[in-house]
Amino acid sequence: MTKVAVIGIGQSLRGDDAAGLEAVRQWREKFPETANRLEVRVEAGELPGLALLDVLNDVDAALLVDAVQSSHPPGTIYRLDEEELAAFTSDARSAHGWGMAETLKLGSQLMNNRPRIRVVGITAGELEMGAEMSDAVRDAIPRVCEAIEAEVNALLK
Amino acid sequence: MEGEGGLYIGLENGKAVEIRLDIYEPPRFFEGFLKGRFLQEVPDITARICGICPVAYQMSSAYALENALGIKVSPQVRALRRLMYCGEYIESHALHIYLLQAPDMLGKQSALELAAEAPEVVRNALRLKKIGNDLLKAIGGRSVHPVNVCVGGFYSWPDEKAIKALLPDLEWGLNAALDTVKFALTLPYPYLEIDYEFVALHHPDEYGVIEGDVLSSNGRKLSIAEYENGYIEEHVRHSNALHSRTVDNNTYLVGPLARLNLNHEQLLPNAKQALKESGIQLPLRNPYKSLIARAIELVHFYEEAIQLVKEYKPSGPAHVELKLREGEGAGATEAPRGLLYHRYKIDGNGMIQFAKITPPTAQNLPRIEADLFALTPRIVKMPEAEAVLTAEHLVRSYDPCISCATHFLKLKIEEK
Repeated sequence: MTKVAVIGIGQSLRGDDAAGLEAVRQWREKFPETANRLEVRVEAGELPGLALLDVLNDVDAALLVDAVQSSHPPGTIYRLDEEELAAFTSDARSAHGWGMAETLKLGSQLMNNRPRIRVVGITAGELEMGAEMSDAVRDAIPRVCEAIEAEVNALLK
Repeated sequence: MEGEGGLYIGLENGKAVEIRLDIYEPPRFFEGFLKGRFLQEVPDITARICGICPVAYQMSSAYALENALGIKVSPQVRALRRLMYCGEYIESHALHIYLLQAPDMLGKQSALELAAEAPEVVRNALRLKKIGNDLLKAIGGRSVHPVNVCVGGFYSWPDEKAIKALLPDLEWGLNAALDTVKFALTLPYPYLEIDYEFVALHHPDEYGVIEGDVLSSNGRKLSIAEYENGYIEEHVRHSNALHSRTVDNNTYLVGPLARLNLNHEQLLPNAKQALKESGIQLPLRNPYKSLIARAIELVHFYEEAIQLVKEYKPSGPAHVELKLREGEGAGATEAPRGLLYHRYKIDGNGMIQFAKITPPTAQNLPRIEADLFALTPRIVKMPEAEAVLTAEHLVRSYDPCISCATHFLKLKIEEK
């Protein structure tokens, strides 16, 4: 049995940064058969920097759902493996200078069985503190849910 | 002449004429966001200002609001709050020592390089840190944004068995923390001695973290309620962040160096012994050596956590029932990065009318800039890449709270 963690990452007070949290929440509602499977664990939180490593324990694969910054319009969805992710995280986003790609790399250096990683990224537009999520990102969330569902099913196989 | 969300050094004939550090987003947003909200929401909202030190924000706000209501928490609540704070210190210090500053001092590009060369060191560091997380989780329900703290105490007592189960790990951690001090003493630190004014909470009976007086190494001693009579925040032109100074117009330093220098008498025995054996002469005035201060504090907080876990026996109500009234109150606690001050005004229904939050990084910012001035004659002679690193290492030794959306330090040197 493949154990999969679905991890929504974000800061709900910072506009589109909440996209990962919101997408995982809506996916859970829309696809309860998948979300409630015994081998699926769902997490959502701010997970700054290395805190990500703590939620990767005890699973074979993890799907990270997070807002990303890219040159494409807000709401653009990416489905990435770990190598492709590196292109998005050259700027450290975390308070301690640890971005997702670096954290995962540290995990693969130090964890005995670090899970396989897939990422669903949603291009963010509005990141101001206190801002609402932008329309472009809000409209993209249903498609993000479909992407999460497809990714989770692929990981479970 | 633009900062690019980083460090800007303006030079004239090889001498620094202007230094601006623009790395920090102050919690101004939250001060506005809190207005009109019920006071019991405040600990959970302010916790979200920082993903690394949420407990500090919860504690300072809870104490401030308890003072506004004129209530005092029970000794059991106070002990559990200290235990929770131990978890935050452990997590934050282990992270900073091993994964941020030690790689800098060892000339590694990042902890990734350190992990490749010395995987055991970094693995132990992550375990040291995780034990802090586990402690926070056991008390606060979760580790990133714990949810159990409320004005008046805790929503509920954490399970006694779950707390006691942490003992073996904490005992391992105490030993690993003692090794951390030895490790810290082996690192090469750049020479830099600054005549700081140190400011920290001081408590006669315990290592100052919650409650006590605001003590300065210049002799100024104020109650927490009087804090604003001694320390002033003001806007400076180049930055969004407020800068702090003393009423005597001095910059000052908060954080591990200040605490160790002012409160070393109150360290617990193992930590005191580790300090003694280190041969370090206090006051410690080298900002890079705040790593050593953190290591000694790591011993202290593991030691204190063990004590508090052993004594933990929940009894009586986990929180005081609140009687709402109009009022105003201040609270300050020592976050891992230094003194964190909050002040609130509430109306008769417990709604927030005014909020003021002064975080440690705002207080240290002018001091960091002044240190960079002191460092500039040395770094302007270096090749640019080396200059960037040296400045970065200094800034990082402060463990500043860097906003999650701010790009990491970029250095710009401009010759006028």
